[in-house]
Amino acid sequence: MILSKLAGRPVLLAVGLVAALALPWFVYPPVALDIACWALFAVAVDLLLGFTGLLSFGHAAFWGGSAYATGLIALHSGLPFPVAILGGAAFAALLALPIGFLSVRLRGIYFAMVTLAFAQMVYFVANQWRDVTGGENGLQGIPRELFGLDLSDPFYFYYAGLPFILAGLFAAWRIVRSPFGCVLMSIRDNPARARALGYSVDRFKLLAFVLSAALSGLAGGLFAIGHGFASLQGVYWTTSGEAVMMVVLGGIGTLWGGIVGAALIVELNDYLATAGFQETGIITGGIFILVVLLFRRGVWGTARDLIAARAARRRPAEPARDKVETPA
Amino acid sequence: MLQQAFNGLVGGAFYALLALGLAVIFGMLGVVNFAHGAFYMLGAFGSYVLLDSFGVNFWIALPLVPLVLGVAGVAVERLFIRRLAPLDPLYNFLFTFGLALILQDLVKRQYGVQSQPYPRPSALNGSIDLGLFTYPAYQVFVLAVSLVVCGAVWFVLARTRVGMIVRASTERPELTRALGIDVARWVTPVFGFGIALAGFAGVLAAPMRAVNPLMGADLIVTVFAVVVIGGLGSVFGSVAAGFAVGLVSALGNYYVPSLSQTLVFILMAVVLLWRPAGLFGREEAAL
Amino acid sequence: MKLMGRSAALAAAGALLAGCGAGGPGGGGGKISDDKIVLAVLTDQSGVYADLSGENAVKAVEMAVADFKKKYGDKAVATEIEVVSADHQNKPDIANTKARELYDRQKADMIVDVPTSSAALAVANVAEGKKRVFISVGAATTALTGEQCNKYTFHYGYNSYMLAHGTGTALTKSGAKNWYLVYPDYAFGQDMEKTFSASVKGAGGTVVKSDPTPFPNDNFSTFLLKAPDLDPKPDVIGAMQAGGDLVNLVKQYNEYKLRDKGVGLAVGLMFITDIHSLGPKALEGTRFTDFWYWNQDDDNRAWADRFKRETGARPTAVHAGDYSAALQYLEAVQRAGTDASDPVVEELEGHKVNDVFTSTGTIRAEDHLLTHDAYLAEVKPESEVSEPWDYEKIIETIPAAEAFQRPSPACEL
Repeated sequence: MILSKLAGRPVLLAVGLVAALALPWFVYPPVALDIACWALFAVAVDLLLGFTGLLSFGHAAFWGGSAYATGLIALHSGLPFPVAILGGAAFAALLALPIGFLSVRLRGIYFAMVTLAFAQMVYFVANQWRDVTGGENGLQGIPRELFGLDLSDPFYFYYAGLPFILAGLFAAWRIVRSPFGCVLMSIRDNPARARALGYSVDRFKLLAFVLSAALSGLAGGLFAIGHGFASLQGVYWTTSGEAVMMVVLGGIGTLWGGIVGAALIVELNDYLATAGFQETGIITGGIFILVVLLFRRGVWGTARDLIAARAARRRPAEPARDKVETPA
Repeated sequence: MLQQAFNGLVGGAFYALLALGLAVIFGMLGVVNFAHGAFYMLGAFGSYVLLDSFGVNFWIALPLVPLVLGVAGVAVERLFIRRLAPLDPLYNFLFTFGLALILQDLVKRQYGVQSQPYPRPSALNGSIDLGLFTYPAYQVFVLAVSLVVCGAVWFVLARTRVGMIVRASTERPELTRALGIDVARWVTPVFGFGIALAGFAGVLAAPMRAVNPLMGADLIVTVFAVVVIGGLGSVFGSVAAGFAVGLVSALGNYYVPSLSQTLVFILMAVVLLWRPAGLFGREEAAL
Repeated sequence: MKLMGRSAALAAAGALLAGCGAGGPGGGGGKISDDKIVLAVLTDQSGVYADLSGENAVKAVEMAVADFKKKYGDKAVATEIEVVSADHQNKPDIANTKARELYDRQKADMIVDVPTSSAALAVANVAEGKKRVFISVGAATTALTGEQCNKYTFHYGYNSYMLAHGTGTALTKSGAKNWYLVYPDYAFGQDMEKTFSASVKGAGGTVVKSDPTPFPNDNFSTFLLKAPDLDPKPDVIGAMQAGGDLVNLVKQYNEYKLRDKGVGLAVGLMFITDIHSLGPKALEGTRFTDFWYWNQDDDNRAWADRFKRETGARPTAVHAGDYSAALQYLEAVQRAGTDASDPVVEELEGHKVNDVFTSTGTIRAEDHLLTHDAYLAEVKPESEVSEPWDYEKIIETIPAAEAFQRPSPACEL
């Protein structure tokens, strides 16, 4: 909100776009694609956590579920990969309907537990149903068909996949800025008042849940095409946890924060894989705890507040907002 | 058949103990403790380390390990949980999630991922004739002990002054405070007690289950489902749901093995459709 | 002076061009790319396979490099042999990215190890795309040499067929006619159950019942209680569980004293690390199929002693497999005179392997599976265990020709 008042917004967007375009020049291209996919996934989770006040601990079901759906479409239909990814996102949205219907009626922490449990159910189904999912072997050899183009080089594939991520991020931004987004935020801040104003709170929450799932599905589908397989790891609950971590690290309720958090965590995991340090949980868990205890606004939120504080010092008329801290 | 049911109750005993700890902590602090599974794992590892390095046997570990973990829980509450308490409860959920990751990997670093051996206490090596069938003594012991513990907790909550205060501050914190009762005084001990219960379940599990750093992480999601079924605010509901889920999974294993994993989650979905607050939960606690 | 400077520059440019040519992946031609051979160990250092493979797998490969250098000295095809490693954390997507990076950036000529089937299959796809060698040790899936096989991927060590077929056939022949199978309900368990049933029937036995169990699971009582009451009463429970689940199952099997009730226990997949964690007493008399045991003979023992000096631990069969895979790869490079993938693959195909891991090995040309003798092993009673990790007794040798499945028609290299 503060940023929208700053003249810097177009500059910020331009910088973000250039960074997205330049990423594979500086980062190993497959890692760059991972960052892009996780960024959209984290933003989708933030859409619920930061703007609707719902902590979903089960979004792996949509990310991983879409990965399977995308993979199956690409493997068996031979359609171009964009169609497969859209199919995957549609599947994620469909899956989100019953799960969301049962979950959104529950508040706060209860919601987190129920989504976690449902995602675990999806995991068990994927694990057992090997004829479709390949079980623990995973669904391997997913092709990247696009009108006969050779996309085997991850550098070029990054650019083929990037439009989906940008479109997804744009959609998230549109949702937040729309009247619908305003209703979501009013539900977040005061559900009773939103209900009193005549909004069907549960239905809005459900719609937000389904949209968020569809965006997660978009990201998960691209991730599956990028890696050439879909695996159980995608639907395991640690994947949900990782996405939430990215949002918290970057800054809840900022959208940009999810992107920054995704970049940091993917890079950290990549680094840890060759650093020779074996207990990655100690590091990621430790960073996470520090953020929760000390920098609850996350990297992006903290930076934004610093800038805003400086601007406020120049123009003392504008009061600094401190509402950001509580997501619900 | 009867034997299978009995068997389900033994499995349910662990769910019940863990769910009970989660429920009292949630009731008093409004915190869902993601690290509960990690403390269960620490309970099992604690007894393993005591036996392996110090030669301290099961019977001493059974009270000692929960005590130590309870103290650790008190420290965690004082140092961290308390600081996050005024904020949205989600932050404490996230904090305990991070804590679980750290505890799990610290143990992994020290002892590796392989399961550690832990023998049954020799006094409980045989089996007991229960009239209709004979059953391993240790499992009978586990069931009996957890029933006693759950019963004792119920007695304390229902019949003593301490319990009344805790129950009152669980259900109507503002009102209790208004009546001049110092609610904050009870927060730390209750948290420590919940953690001690998790540790107690861990010690009980050591002789009959695989003792490894991941044993708690695998279990905690199911325990969450148990708590949701029972009703998060309800102490009685958690215990009842714990035993019920144990029973259902055992019978599920018997009749429809291929469904047995998803059964508890299907049960949860049905309960949510029918009673969103759980079987014994109060509506306003969840909605 | 001026002239010399120019010719030096030309020479440098020439060298640069030559370097480029040799640096390209795959293909024939060049001798040793980047003037060094790079072996990459992609393993699980933080997940459930950390003890079975993990960082000691890197040590095993380094031992192979040392032995290779000692054997060939100045005649070695390359003087510089580098070992790099990465941790896939038991996540297939990290395995996939890291494999690419190892081939692309670290200039790895081959990747070895990669436990977990999903990760191994993902790496196999990368190897095929990059046209570089990948030798999988420690993954159980037969898909690596079946429908998902490719020219650059080799499978070493064991697979689900070897485990199930070995135990199922050998025990049925030695008198265990009626079986009750319990298997974890996911791909590995389902594969094991299929092969196991077929092997039991093939050897003249009967599978009385076969039940899937949840995975992961910590309560097997339902299945164990039911076992003695089945009709006909099974002689043996065949358990296909692995890792923590196996430990749970065996603990509970002992609890119900099923051995005293005349129901034995055979295990599909068991590693020495599992015996160590349960203690030999809990598993006494349990039979299973193994593919290498450190204390089987003097050669193995000597190698295991050296391994212990380097790492402080006894080697698992997977460590020995890693050692052999690295050594055989280097030998193939030596014979081919180049580390370019295609000639090396040609050298490996059909090669007879004779080292500390196996003296009867053949790398099958049809599907790139290393076939070798497997062993029916039994866990020693505690009284016979004379030192730490001395847990196994080899009962029977299953000859290489019978130990593994026939080449799958689904595999076209």
